[in-house]
Amino acid sequence: MAVLRYAYYPGCASQEITKEANETTRKVAAALAVELHDMPGANCCGAGLLTDCDYELSLALNARILAQAEQMGMDIMTICSTCLMVMSAANRDLKNDRKLLDRINGILGEAGLEYRGTVRVRQLLWVLVEDYGLKGLKKAVARPLDWLKVAPFYGCHSLRPSSALGFDDPEMPHSLEDTIKALGAEAVAYAGKTRCCGFQVDLVAPETAVGMTASRLIDAKAKGAACVVTPCPFCHINLDNYQGMAEKKVGRKIDLPVFHLAQLVGLAMGMKPEELGLSRHMVSPERIVR
Amino acid sequence: MKVRFRIRRFDPLHQAEPYWQAYSVEVKEGMTVLEALLKISEDDDPTLSFRRSCRSAICGSCAMTINGFPRLACSTQVLPQYRKKGEMTVEPLSNHQVIKDLAVDMTPFWNRMEKVSPYLAPKEEPKDGWVIRKEDAAAIDSAQKCIMCGSCNAVCDSLEADPNFIGPAASVKAWRLVGDVREGMKKKRLERLSEGHGVWDCVRCVHCTEYCPKDVRPLEAIERLRAKAIEKKVVDNHGAKHTLALVDSVKRVGRLDEAAMTFKTLGFLRSLGMIPLGLKMEMHGKLPHLIIFPAIDGIKEVRKIYSAVERRKKKKE
Amino acid sequence: MVIHDVVVVGAGLAGMRAAIEAARAGLNVAAVSKVHPVRSHSVAAQGGINAAIKEADSWEDHAFDTVKGSDYLGDQDAIEVLCREAPSDIMELERMGAVFSRDDAGRIAQRPFGGADYPRTCYLADRTGHGLVHLLYEQLIKHGVYLYDEWHVVSLVTHDNSVRGVIALELTTGKLHRLHSRAVIIATGGYGRVFNTSTNAITSTGDGMALALRAGAPLMDMEFVQFHPTTLKRTGILMTEGARGEGGYLINSAGERFMKAYAPSKLELASRDVVSRAEQKEIDAGRGVDGCVLLDMRHLGKDRIAERLPQIRDLAINFAGVDPVIAPVPIKPGAHYSMGGIMTDVDGKTPVEGLFAAGECACVSVHGANRLGGNSLLETIVFGRRAGKAAAGSCIKGRGLRDFPDPALADAASAIASILNRTEGESAHRLIAGAREAMEEHCWIFRTREGLEGGLKKIRKLRERYGRVALTDRSDCFNTELLTALEAGYILEISEAMLMGALARTESRGSHFRLDFPARNDKEWLRHTLVYREGKGCRMDYKDVRITRFTPAERKY
Repeated sequence: MAVLRYAYYPGCASQEITKEANETTRKVAAALAVELHDMPGANCCGAGLLTDCDYELSLALNARILAQAEQMGMDIMTICSTCLMVMSAANRDLKNDRKLLDRINGILGEAGLEYRGTVRVRQLLWVLVEDYGLKGLKKAVARPLDWLKVAPFYGCHSLRPSSALGFDDPEMPHSLEDTIKALGAEAVAYAGKTRCCGFQVDLVAPETAVGMTASRLIDAKAKGAACVVTPCPFCHINLDNYQGMAEKKVGRKIDLPVFHLAQLVGLAMGMKPEELGLSRHMVSPERIVR
Repeated sequence: MKVRFRIRRFDPLHQAEPYWQAYSVEVKEGMTVLEALLKISEDDDPTLSFRRSCRSAICGSCAMTINGFPRLACSTQVLPQYRKKGEMTVEPLSNHQVIKDLAVDMTPFWNRMEKVSPYLAPKEEPKDGWVIRKEDAAAIDSAQKCIMCGSCNAVCDSLEADPNFIGPAASVKAWRLVGDVREGMKKKRLERLSEGHGVWDCVRCVHCTEYCPKDVRPLEAIERLRAKAIEKKVVDNHGAKHTLALVDSVKRVGRLDEAAMTFKTLGFLRSLGMIPLGLKMEMHGKLPHLIIFPAIDGIKEVRKIYSAVERRKKKKE
Repeated sequence: MVIHDVVVVGAGLAGMRAAIEAARAGLNVAAVSKVHPVRSHSVAAQGGINAAIKEADSWEDHAFDTVKGSDYLGDQDAIEVLCREAPSDIMELERMGAVFSRDDAGRIAQRPFGGADYPRTCYLADRTGHGLVHLLYEQLIKHGVYLYDEWHVVSLVTHDNSVRGVIALELTTGKLHRLHSRAVIIATGGYGRVFNTSTNAITSTGDGMALALRAGAPLMDMEFVQFHPTTLKRTGILMTEGARGEGGYLINSAGERFMKAYAPSKLELASRDVVSRAEQKEIDAGRGVDGCVLLDMRHLGKDRIAERLPQIRDLAINFAGVDPVIAPVPIKPGAHYSMGGIMTDVDGKTPVEGLFAAGECACVSVHGANRLGGNSLLETIVFGRRAGKAAAGSCIKGRGLRDFPDPALADAASAIASILNRTEGESAHRLIAGAREAMEEHCWIFRTREGLEGGLKKIRKLRERYGRVALTDRSDCFNTELLTALEAGYILEISEAMLMGALARTESRGSHFRLDFPARNDKEWLRHTLVYREGKGCRMDYKDVRITRFTPAERKY
């Protein structure tokens, strides 16, 4: 197999709040011999908020990220669904509309950059399933998680809009389930897996946000999940950090640990909980990983 | 080929619970779900209730949940769905009360529409009539395609969590007006839309855009309304503040400075309310750096892009 | 009992336009419709709306094209009103908020349409009706018109030839309501669903015309049905005339543009009756492709199709499995528009006092024997406005609220109860299917006396059987079978009126083609046919065409 190498874009959240996702991803990638090349100086994708202010600015700043990867001669791999969605949507618009690309290049030109439209944006999940392959991943599993019932949580931005993403079936996705099974664990079926965690309105409409967080978690737990896994740090923030608030809202304990995708992979590959940054979680997964 | 349809039926006035009923329909290539439903009601079971009218995806009557997601029965072919999912289930739209079987109560939908004062309040007309440039018309073209079928509201995660949310469909109508060069009440509208349960409450689940049968892209309408609100300086609300905080943060340091964003979004007092959670996060090493947040390496390039976009915008005006 | 000044039955373009105008006069106005306004069939109009708004054009030219298109059966005084008032109505629509497609200077663009000597059709891409319906719905809200949607009017209440209101069935509860009013405007659209192969919505069953007929108003020129030349093979879904207006070709199995033989100068843009007959002849002569001819748009290119005809492309892909960018679309003629309707004057007035009608259900007559594309939307706007104004005017001038006859509600209730309580009988669906089959066999593009008589026999038999119509669904909540049963009654009555008109008219004119009388006969037939209800049957009468400025001449395209 040719060496897999990516321009690595962890996203802002995983450089701070969800550092553990970034650190674990690097370890897992190293263990799988996937090359992650840092993108020094890459800016924030805007998380959709830039689009809410200025579409053109958002396009230009995302084009800057894409142009950097193009210069590196690699596709981008991110570990954040929102970054994935925002960069992919910008990429779609720029690739589909020559005039728009020219206009944006006019702006990039002032910063000495150009984007030709050759880069693809990928997410860790896609890299594992499509590029690395689950057969290979299965071989790398040292400690099958056969005691674990895992609820896959896709959230929104790894699936929609499908016009920009085009990975998996947004109505009946199975890539996370397939990955969970490859790691030896059992995937729990439940209704909320492709719904919103509430993150985007945490500060704006906290009641709505917490309500969503609660219903996704309760849904998963009711179907027998011992934990949740998500490919997105923002989903992780809501499902884990804000789980306490969700519990308060519904007036009962939920207590459902939430893993970053890389952590679950690392665990199955035999990494120690300490190496995975699990102590940084608000809802401790300790009791289920031992 | 015989296809088994499972249809969720319910008569709330006379039945306690919805139930599933199965029908077998002879389906030919190209046949739509609406044709199958008509066949059922004509040949098999006339008591099945559903709305229908134009058969050509323009009247918006027949939106329903087909194999789990909202679609127009008239423009959804049976066989591709059946082959993909191995079954055919038909249910009423979600997020709506059932009147009977597949017909739902659209009253809240129309009420939301009325809430945005859905009619042009024009500025004074130029003496020799309006000039609308093609690009001006294009800005609201996709919003004009809306057929008010209710699919977007039916899959809207925000609406499910908050029934007072304005919802994607009415947001589209609002953008159709705010985006119109002739409209004279833009700011007033944007102020109302920026209140609680307004456009800033959208969680960006992208369901609306994914399931709109007419490619209206309601999320895009919401984004454009938000941008227009900021442009018109309607920013005294958490949504706009949050966005501006990010725009500022990226300009300042090239990335998302969460502590600063929380502070700028909520203000000093409400930020204090976040302290208990903050302390707990701190214990797990999760609190972002409060004071020093280093800028990224490429910050100069980023700022050049900001000023280039800014300059172009000024020139356009 | 609910009381309003004006009750409008039907809330498509004509109904909403009428309601808005009456509300503007300061009256209390209600719109009652069996579907929500944005679901009404006006929403499906694609191509555009005609108006002479450019210097180089004139309303007189528009009027001439319309008169000629009507095969000289249109009443010229009414056509003058239509064409003279068109430009200001377009401007008003724009002021309300319509976004008509623009030319490069940012002004309203116009496209060529069949039978017109000037490109005078304004449009909103290929969804003009949709744009205008949503626009008028906005205005309906703005003007505070009461809306009773999904209320099905079951009878028009009259006394001494004067209207007193309507009785309507609320679909969600099964309850009958009395709406007492000073004036009633009928705007329920056409009867395209008398046929199977029809571009019309499932709901276009001629309800208002049948109600008016029962209330004593005459139906005029019912034999004239427009067959649209370009409808999709299996479903009858419409491909707009705009497709030809933008330059699309019609070709036969040999790849020839066959219209050269039928209309050498106007070709594909001859009037609709001419093109539809030409297609049928090609198909009958074995030069069709699987019962169709082909609409070829490939040479227009992807960009032009995307800009001007985006919906057409979607419809062709979704409903015929053909992408017009890549391949020609198989099409055939299908029933499209009802030229006939409730006889009115230019203010929408009918012979029943206080009763008005506008839009496709009315016959003013501006379309005569054949309607030009782009004139139907115009008719809804111009005559909807005029009917609204006239109805309001009659109230303001003193038409007060008169007694609502006591037995009206009980009569309506017992009629419905008799259907609901019948345990055994005829299926409404079967009766409708029978009527459609008979009408397609005997009252389609080419007609003969024998055929029409045979059709009339069949329809009368079906009407007898209709007296025993019975239902499976006896519920009171959203009983769509009951609605279908009521519609079956309307369809049968309308079919009878159409056949009677078609039998009476022993000539060929516009859309009405008699194989046994293939020529136009101006000596005898510059007359409208009128059908009145008499007992259980019908009676014919006639009325001369009003000719003001254009002398009848042979029609050539």
